[in-house]
Amino acid sequence: MAIDPQPEAAAVAAPTAGGERGPWSLAARRFVRNRVAVAFLVLFFLIVLFVLAAPLWADHVAHTGPNKTHTLQQLTVGGEKRDVVNVEGQPIGPQLFAADGMFFLGADSRLGRDEMVRLMYGGRTSLLIGITTALITTALAVILGLLAGYYRGWIDTVIARTLDILWSLPVLLVGIALGVTLAVGGLKIGPLELSGGSLWIPIIVICVFTVPYIARPIRGEVLSLSNKEFVEAAVAQGAGPLRVMFGEILPNLASTIIVFFTLTIANNMLFEAGLSFLGAGVQPPNSSWGTMITVGVDLLNTQPLLAIIPGTMIMLTVLSLNIVGDGLRDALDPRSKIDLEAHTGTVATKASGAAAI
Amino acid sequence: MKKLFVVIAVSGTALIASLGLVACGGGGGDTSSGGGGGQEGGILKGTYASFPDYMDPQLSYTAEGWTAMGEVYIPLLTYKHAEGAEGSEVVPGLAEDLPTISNGGKTYTLKLRPGLKYSDGAAVKASDFPYAVERAFVLSSGGSPFYTGIVGAEEFAETKKGGIPGIEANDKTGEIVINLTKPRGTFENELALMFVAPVPQSTPMEDQSATPPPGTGPYTITKSQPGKGWEYERNPYWAKANSEAMPEYPTGSIDGAKITVIRNPQSQVDDIEQGTYDWMQNPPPSSRYAEVKSKYEGSQFLVQSTISTYYFWLNTEEAPFDDVKVRQAVNYAIDSRALERIYAGQIVGTDQILPPGMPGYEKFDLYPHDLAKAKEMIKEAAPADMDITVWTDTESPNNEAGEYLNDVLQQLGFNTELKILNADNYFTVIGNATTPNLDAGWSDWFEDYPHPNDFFQPLLSGESILPTNNGNFAKISDPELNKEIETLGEERLEPDEETAYAELDKKFMEQAPWAPYGTRTLSTFVSDAIELDSIIYNPTFFEYLTSFEFK
Repeated sequence: MAIDPQPEAAAVAAPTAGGERGPWSLAARRFVRNRVAVAFLVLFFLIVLFVLAAPLWADHVAHTGPNKTHTLQQLTVGGEKRDVVNVEGQPIGPQLFAADGMFFLGADSRLGRDEMVRLMYGGRTSLLIGITTALITTALAVILGLLAGYYRGWIDTVIARTLDILWSLPVLLVGIALGVTLAVGGLKIGPLELSGGSLWIPIIVICVFTVPYIARPIRGEVLSLSNKEFVEAAVAQGAGPLRVMFGEILPNLASTIIVFFTLTIANNMLFEAGLSFLGAGVQPPNSSWGTMITVGVDLLNTQPLLAIIPGTMIMLTVLSLNIVGDGLRDALDPRSKIDLEAHTGTVATKASGAAAI
Repeated sequence: MKKLFVVIAVSGTALIASLGLVACGGGGGDTSSGGGGGQEGGILKGTYASFPDYMDPQLSYTAEGWTAMGEVYIPLLTYKHAEGAEGSEVVPGLAEDLPTISNGGKTYTLKLRPGLKYSDGAAVKASDFPYAVERAFVLSSGGSPFYTGIVGAEEFAETKKGGIPGIEANDKTGEIVINLTKPRGTFENELALMFVAPVPQSTPMEDQSATPPPGTGPYTITKSQPGKGWEYERNPYWAKANSEAMPEYPTGSIDGAKITVIRNPQSQVDDIEQGTYDWMQNPPPSSRYAEVKSKYEGSQFLVQSTISTYYFWLNTEEAPFDDVKVRQAVNYAIDSRALERIYAGQIVGTDQILPPGMPGYEKFDLYPHDLAKAKEMIKEAAPADMDITVWTDTESPNNEAGEYLNDVLQQLGFNTELKILNADNYFTVIGNATTPNLDAGWSDWFEDYPHPNDFFQPLLSGESILPTNNGNFAKISDPELNKEIETLGEERLEPDEETAYAELDKKFMEQAPWAPYGTRTLSTFVSDAIELDSIIYNPTFFEYLTSFEFK
């Protein structure tokens, strides 16, 4: 792996009392020193643990599934029978542990589904979509950015203009139109067949519209990197285009990609929530935090928590990913203002220069 | 279909009397308004939760469409401008009088009132009536099966060429003679439906929802934007010609109306409370229903009982619902008490086709809720195809009813996929034979007229299975039951026929093409600027635009 021999980076990577440290090690140390970022990373992992525990809670505490209706069920709370949904169609509020954990956060709607179970399963869906779309869009964006930035010429023109067109579209409006169409009719392209309720429908819609937001900056960076001496050197040594792109340039994009990846998870989760709220994303009866807000809004006057809780979960997850993303950017950036000297004894670097490690 | 949000008051005679609402009708008097003490003039700002299925008189078959066009397109016969049972009385519309029935009940003779004009100034001709009937057939209207009994209509329905020989219209005399292949006890009611309201013969043989044709009523639709809304103005030829020709028909107080589609019923309620809009056609959302009722009942809010059936249809043509045992199992598994709560008390549970209040209704309980029995029946039936697509629309609580059915089918062991379509085109999509996977779904039905045939022929007879605008979603065509519908349809409604319809109800439910679950109560909510007492809820055309008055 070739690393752009930036003098600043070299300074950062200089031998210290603690011995030779690589750029990744330094980045990790910088990140760990950013206590806010670490705190939110912990929060994010807690959220992941929370949603991964959904089957355990559903099977052993709530004794129900995420889509199971309990409209006519009664709970015994403090020796009293209570309707899960009363005759006026009002669902029961949070019971915490008063009913042995059943309906911990109350029922979600007139269908009497367990809000806590749906919150946990809905979180799985939201995170799954966020992470999957971030992986796909990042991979696509890197490939397109590398091809456009390295080859330039007509390949660059075609890719860049296509990205421009996608970028110019009103994302939410077109996303809703596409999402609704696919949710109703499904998708069939050759052997690929997706039903309207498939989670792949919102995943595809989100990927289509978010690729330009990563591909364009990556293309710009590749355009810059491909003029560097280390690339010329690799070409002079007989390296082919694939090796130059993936062996020389790609490693120098690592910090950018990592930062974009975390931020894209957050953005795509918000996109999914928006699409689902408007009926163009995750389809009922499946839950995501976005669909739960839609259901909750219907009962906002009487049961505001039904919308507030999933909304808060989205906010916390997106906030934690954004702060972790910012922390990573600072940690991976040699111009970082995080002073390691006080903690490590290294020479503090306030360097400026190229962004690459 | 007469589906979705309708406000009618068949059993509200006492209420009508107490409110002094009966207006217009055959008694002369002031025909300018609905009878309240409000002002003349003003533009009504109304809101619907969805755009009607069609804004075309020959095509629309929803409560929204009939409410929207009831005062724009007047058929030869119509219903009295009144509520409840009185509002179900057929009275002359564009025709001078009720038809003369001869030839053993097979020939109906009517005469057009002289001097009638459309809103564009063109004269109304007798031949516009057969044109309207032909147009209903050419467009495969969901209402066309009502008229297949006209001589030559079935052939025309197939070929769509050469006219319908069973209708003779004389433009000079205004006489219209309709010959039927056999007597039909409901034909007067069917002549009073909007499907056969005359339109100019220049009206294209295609859906005119974006440019509704000129009408004959007191109001005309001046602008229509499908999906968004529409506007009314007074018909300029109403005062000049039609009101003189049909003096008993009300002229209306308001000068016009502007209707906006607002898909969020929460916003609709807020808008009515704040006076931004004057009337919402659909009821408040279930989550606000109790609140609105307690705050505004009697002053701005009225609850009405309806003659309606809410049901889940099960496609009898395709597996797994081609097996009667599977359909019966679903009926056992559905619990109407749960659906009463899902509808926040706005339905009364039932598990039969005919609703209370409809002649021929006799209560029975063929499928008391028994999930264990249902599961056992599915086990015995062992259907080969366990994949089911469940259909419903986006409007609450119908969407939740669809989710409930989806959950019940999953409990019975089926693999389900739920499809929730926009309410604007839900019935168009599920009524199209080319739509794949039409296995089961939600629907409702409000009476077209007070005759039990209306719950069988358009919904459950073989002849009502259409390639487009289909109303027989269960696609049931049982030769014996078809024959019985046909035979009963020929008779006028007497006690013996009512008993026969009650039996027919049971026979159909033994076949279980539907899983009925309730009869709806509905409501109308207006701003404090509107005279609530003046509004007339007709069982067929619902809230008459001519009955709205500003205070």
